[in-house]
Amino acid sequence: MIKVWKHTQPPFQYNIKANMKDKQQLLGIFAYLDDLLNVLKALKEANQPIETVYSPVRRDEIQEAMGLKPSAVRFFTLVGGVLGGIAGVSLASYAHLRWNLITSGKPILAWIPFVVVFFESLILISVLFSVASMVLKGRMLRKRLPIAYDTRFTQDRFGILVSCTWDEIGKVSKILEESGAEEVHEIGQS
Amino acid sequence: MENFSYLSVNQKILGTLSRPRKIYYFVIALLILGVLCGAACWAYQITMGLGVAGYVHPVFWIIYLVNFVFWIGIAHSGTLISAILYLFRAKWRTAIARSAEAMTIFAVMIAALFPLIHLGRPWIFYWLIPYPNQRTLWPNFQSPLVFDFLAVSTYFTVSLLFWYVGLIPDLAVIRDRANGIRQRIYGFLSLGWIGSHNQWHHYGTTYLLLAGLATPLVVSVHSVVSWDFAFCVIPGYHSTIFAPYFVAGAIHSGLAMVLTLLIPLRTILRFEEIITIKDLESIAKTLLLTGLFVGYSYIVEQFMSWYGGNRFEHDIFIFRVIGHYSFMFWLMVLCNAIAPLFFFLKKVRTNLKSLFGIAIIINIGMWTERFVIIIGSMAQDFIPYQWDFYSPKWVEITITVGSFCLFFLLFLLFVKLLPSVSIAEIKENLNPPMRRQQVKNQSYIASEHSKKAVGYVGRTL
Repeated sequence: MIKVWKHTQPPFQYNIKANMKDKQQLLGIFAYLDDLLNVLKALKEANQPIETVYSPVRRDEIQEAMGLKPSAVRFFTLVGGVLGGIAGVSLASYAHLRWNLITSGKPILAWIPFVVVFFESLILISVLFSVASMVLKGRMLRKRLPIAYDTRFTQDRFGILVSCTWDEIGKVSKILEESGAEEVHEIGQS
Repeated sequence: MENFSYLSVNQKILGTLSRPRKIYYFVIALLILGVLCGAACWAYQITMGLGVAGYVHPVFWIIYLVNFVFWIGIAHSGTLISAILYLFRAKWRTAIARSAEAMTIFAVMIAALFPLIHLGRPWIFYWLIPYPNQRTLWPNFQSPLVFDFLAVSTYFTVSLLFWYVGLIPDLAVIRDRANGIRQRIYGFLSLGWIGSHNQWHHYGTTYLLLAGLATPLVVSVHSVVSWDFAFCVIPGYHSTIFAPYFVAGAIHSGLAMVLTLLIPLRTILRFEEIITIKDLESIAKTLLLTGLFVGYSYIVEQFMSWYGGNRFEHDIFIFRVIGHYSFMFWLMVLCNAIAPLFFFLKKVRTNLKSLFGIAIIINIGMWTERFVIIIGSMAQDFIPYQWDFYSPKWVEITITVGSFCLFFLLFLLFVKLLPSVSIAEIKENLNPPMRRQQVKNQSYIASEHSKKAVGYVGRTL
């Protein structure tokens, strides 16, 4: 039996002039991965925009089904590496020109030992950029978790949040139920 | 782990975070006592001066530097297991990576203390940091000591971030099952993780990149530490073999420490199904490999000291074998090169007691190796007139014991406050829940029931 919860009252109780084309969100909760993949396929065929897919574990099948582009974290990591390497060598060069330590005729700016400085600062700054970009691109650092979030998504349940209009709710609910959703929730206006 | 589901993985691993038994508090109290004793000795040393330690001319790098190199070496294996084996897609790393990474971080923290302890004026350690200052002084970026500062601080930062990124999904698991102040703390630390496809996508790429960036650090950091010695001219230090020699030794000691920590952890937390004998056997095989590297290095060093024709270099290696510290040398060879050879026997590799015993022996041997290299070489350098031999005093022995207590204290706290096995990665290795598999299982169970019924009826008839 499919349970349906309504998290909000239908808009016509508060706003008579509500437009039936206002966006609504439906959350389907699944226990099985193949059900989730089937519903993803069905929703894409029905041209329904999928907001979010929740899962307790990283699965390549979900990533492929969502058709995601390669992550931009790679680019930020590269930028961080380049900036870090330049910064390290610049710091070492500036320090040696500012405070000369003249020893046994060795050069003031010795590029061979500066390779170590270059390498370490490259790694450090690229890692910092990488983590920062992951946090920003993943939209983390939230004050509150989204209303659609269910704590079972970190346990053993998958979820899919779909946007639709009021008159599409029935169709989308049917797709979710037929694909094996354990529960379907109406989340509220997006 | 085939019988595990996503739910049972959560329950099994989160169960280790529950209220501990009394013995845990007793051990924590003992370790805190050890740390306080070490700290008190350090305070005494700062007040009275370095003379209270066993410094004797010409040995001015004593067991503080031995400990520094030892702990940096311990740290390397954690990164090897978590980063390098991740790139190689070695499945056996999954159950042990989290604990190994934690070991890395704690080991680096303790290693970083020893250059401060070893300073006569530790309050001016910050002069090594390159920042614009009123003194208009800058550190010498050509010095291996400055390389050390850069390498070790980079290694600590990268290891910490790599460990933390891997922890984020698990912190969210704890957040969703906690309440009160615990929920707030874990919620804050989990950075609002919700397990969306977007987050998993960027997380996967970041984790892979961090693994790739941490990998060269395993080689570079201990190479840089070895250059603290190789850049000197003292016979026994000034050798080009030092970088690979130290790196191989670091991985050897680190793997031994991983076994030392994991075997009791596995037994006490009842992780036998997660950290299997096969995983421990894989570590033993890697230890066998690194033991062969280390043994080979010992032979090559001796050979090259003779073949190179440098009288002073040759003499220092003869002194190691038959001189004042020869007991330490032979202990080192026995513990590091001979003891791991027992891992050729499968019976030894798969027996918990022998695994634990040989791991402890290797830990002792690797500490002894650093002693032989650092102190043995400095005690007898070019001029026989100034040779003298160092023996540790109670001050540095207590500080050393205190550092071990601090390491185990931090690890015990980690085991109780954070999941010591990666929940997300364990789940990734499991077969995902599939409806068609469930239907197949149910029809199999139904068919088995019907077979039994027919058989019963058949027998009755």
